[in-house]
Amino acid sequence: MPNSDDFRVKRIQKMLLEMAKGNFFYSIEPSDKNDNIASLVVLLNMVNEEIGAAFIHQGFANAHNTPQCVIQLSLILDAQGQIELVTNGTCSLMSYLPKDLIGKHITEFLSEKSGKKWTKKMAKHLKRERSETVLFLEFVTNDGLVLSKDCQLSVYQALDGSGQKILLDSVFFSKGEPFDTGLPKKTLKVTKGIKEHKVTLTPEDIQIIRDVHDMIINNLEKDLPRLNDLARQMGTNEYKLKYGFKQIYGTTIFRFLTRERLRMAKTLIKHSTLTIKQIIQMTGFKSKTHFSRAFKDKYGMSPTDLRS
Amino acid sequence: MKKTHENTYTVYLLTDRLIHIIYKKAPCIDLKAAQVIVMDRMQLQEGREMPVLCDIREVRNINKAARDYLALEGSLWIEKLAFLIDPPVTDMISSIYLDTHAQKVPTQSFDNKSEALAFLGIEEKDGN
Repeated sequence: MPNSDDFRVKRIQKMLLEMAKGNFFYSIEPSDKNDNIASLVVLLNMVNEEIGAAFIHQGFANAHNTPQCVIQLSLILDAQGQIELVTNGTCSLMSYLPKDLIGKHITEFLSEKSGKKWTKKMAKHLKRERSETVLFLEFVTNDGLVLSKDCQLSVYQALDGSGQKILLDSVFFSKGEPFDTGLPKKTLKVTKGIKEHKVTLTPEDIQIIRDVHDMIINNLEKDLPRLNDLARQMGTNEYKLKYGFKQIYGTTIFRFLTRERLRMAKTLIKHSTLTIKQIIQMTGFKSKTHFSRAFKDKYGMSPTDLRS
Repeated sequence: MKKTHENTYTVYLLTDRLIHIIYKKAPCIDLKAAQVIVMDRMQLQEGREMPVLCDIREVRNINKAARDYLALEGSLWIEKLAFLIDPPVTDMISSIYLDTHAQKVPTQSFDNKSEALAFLGIEEKDGN
């Protein structure tokens, strides 16, 4: 009874348990309903995305020296889409035993939408001898949770002459040791260059730094005051502001400002009829040369090329 | 002057004083959808900053990439923003969106269209 309240609450419990273990890559399929349980599901999915993003983020990930584990979802399929090989990580992620997966058709483990997408897209790729693509797929686990991710798909020819095969691959990040079994051996540290200046931030410090972040976003066209002045104005010190910002947002204040200015400029160039000169003024850049160079570095094309 | 426009995800009703965006029933608003929604709105507005009434009552799922895009790139040329919601689901969606993203423009949620229009400083008349 997939629609009974009891069933829906059980899903929520499963999802919360996964989150408690630090696994933020699951989600619950939203329903068309507009009731309290549906709103809880929506909230849970969104909170999960927000926390998940913060954990992957170097600042938070490193805050407690949390190791970042990588779990690989990896399957080999024959040309018909039948599963020939699964890794242990895949079984853990999907909460199935290998024997439940091997020999079955991949679409049995995909959401209806993804199943259709698979059938449509793979027909095209299998016409070629070799082919590679990325597909966004939603897997449904044994517990009924949804795993959605961009998957790398490679079509290749088996050397033993047994024809075409498909390699399906994706990677998930997790906090700590994700599963009792499966044991990913390599840990990936998503941190770099923040060791030298580690500051201890109180909740108040973090709030101040968030306020600075919001203030920058809301005043992109204005010049940033000197860090020293800004820190004093916000009730903190320059050291905490400088290195705390980097710790939380993974970039320096000035790089962040430039990045956000460029983002706004890009949107205006694409969707408005304002001249580039007007856009430069609106986004607080001081010179056209600086703007053009920064823009090209970031987006790989000049502002004028994007416009035309 | 009145204009309307429609894409896969939204319907736009544009008057001199207000742009009214109605989200259609869609499985999920993802980044691609958010980009289309913002692009069409900006093209309709032609550079004019306007109050926006955003009817999200049919929305059931919007992912983080889309939320981030709407909050950053998607907030240009919006003078004031009112969400029209239908509790509990869209109430929850608008609450978490407002709580997790820095708002560049004054934004509030309403389950009543007249109140939403009043917040935007628009007197309710036919056609809005």
